[in-house]
Amino acid sequence: MGLIFIRTIIVFITLLIVMRLMGKRQIGEMQPYELVVTLIISELAGIPMSDPSIPLLYGVTAILTVFLLHQIVCLLDLHFKPVRAIVSGIPSVLLNKNGIDEKELKKNSLDVPDLIESLRTEGYFALDAVDYALYEAEGTFSALPKVNYQELQKSLPVILITEGKFDEKNLSFTRRDKDYYLALLKKRGVKQKDVLVMTIDGNGRVYLQEHGKKYQIIELKWEKTLW
Amino acid sequence: MVKTLISIFIALGVLVGASLFELYYVQKTFSLLTEVLFTLHDKTEAQTATIEDGTAVRQLWEEKKDSLQIWLPHTAIQEIDYQLYEAVGFICVRNYENALPKLEVVLGMCENVPETYSLRLKNIF
Repeated sequence: MGLIFIRTIIVFITLLIVMRLMGKRQIGEMQPYELVVTLIISELAGIPMSDPSIPLLYGVTAILTVFLLHQIVCLLDLHFKPVRAIVSGIPSVLLNKNGIDEKELKKNSLDVPDLIESLRTEGYFALDAVDYALYEAEGTFSALPKVNYQELQKSLPVILITEGKFDEKNLSFTRRDKDYYLALLKKRGVKQKDVLVMTIDGNGRVYLQEHGKKYQIIELKWEKTLW
Repeated sequence: MVKTLISIFIALGVLVGASLFELYYVQKTFSLLTEVLFTLHDKTEAQTATIEDGTAVRQLWEEKKDSLQIWLPHTAIQEIDYQLYEAVGFICVRNYENALPKLEVVLGMCENVPETYSLRLKNIF
């Protein structure tokens, strides 16, 4: 029993560390320790139940140990802030009034298309439609939209450039070639390789952000709406 | 918070208490069995062991077996069961030569089994 007790503690802590290292993307809507409990509790209950040669007490001990650890982590999570940050993690501000925070994005193993996709699921299609976008500790997104955000997303923005590379498919939607956009970048003194993200909507509204710089909005004033 | 703390202390108390009891009970039971088996082994070596001696040891094992199964995997118990029954069988027909190695095996198992499931670093990993 003592062995099972210690072994369960080791497995619990190992899984918790692994889950925290894997990042929020693996979690879904649970806190890391809640996911660990969910992952191991069914196995703990199942094995002694199906194998009569293992004393049922082994399963009970392991389950009780998991319960004990869960309660301890819950308590620490609620009352000790530094422990909370270690065990559950803290929300990350991925997008602020200056645009995308690249550092935070990388820290959370995300890229720009991931962020745009997550914002879309929240109902925000333009990157400048929100003032702040947060990646919560349990792996969900939340955003604080601008007051007039509906006016900023009249047409669906598509990614033209991410990490300095053109998206050929989206480029064809705009009915303009690379040179057109390279000339636009050149005019603004921006090199293609320095572009973190460049999106464009059907009205020719461009969101451009260079690595480590504040984003800028460019209105291309096309004659007609393309999509 | 109070409720959580109470549940932590209760769970910890139950787990630590039960673990200590298991440690004590398994060690004590196997010590007793080893003692009895040594006596039977000596008698077998001297070729003076009788059916009654063998049956008495088997009976003691039967009594302890049920409670040991709560704490130890049943496969370990079954192995001792098998070897002991064979040894006693040989003693019953006064085949001491064959009974001795079997008793040696049982004695070795009585020493090894509690050690395998005791709280030691090598067993944890």
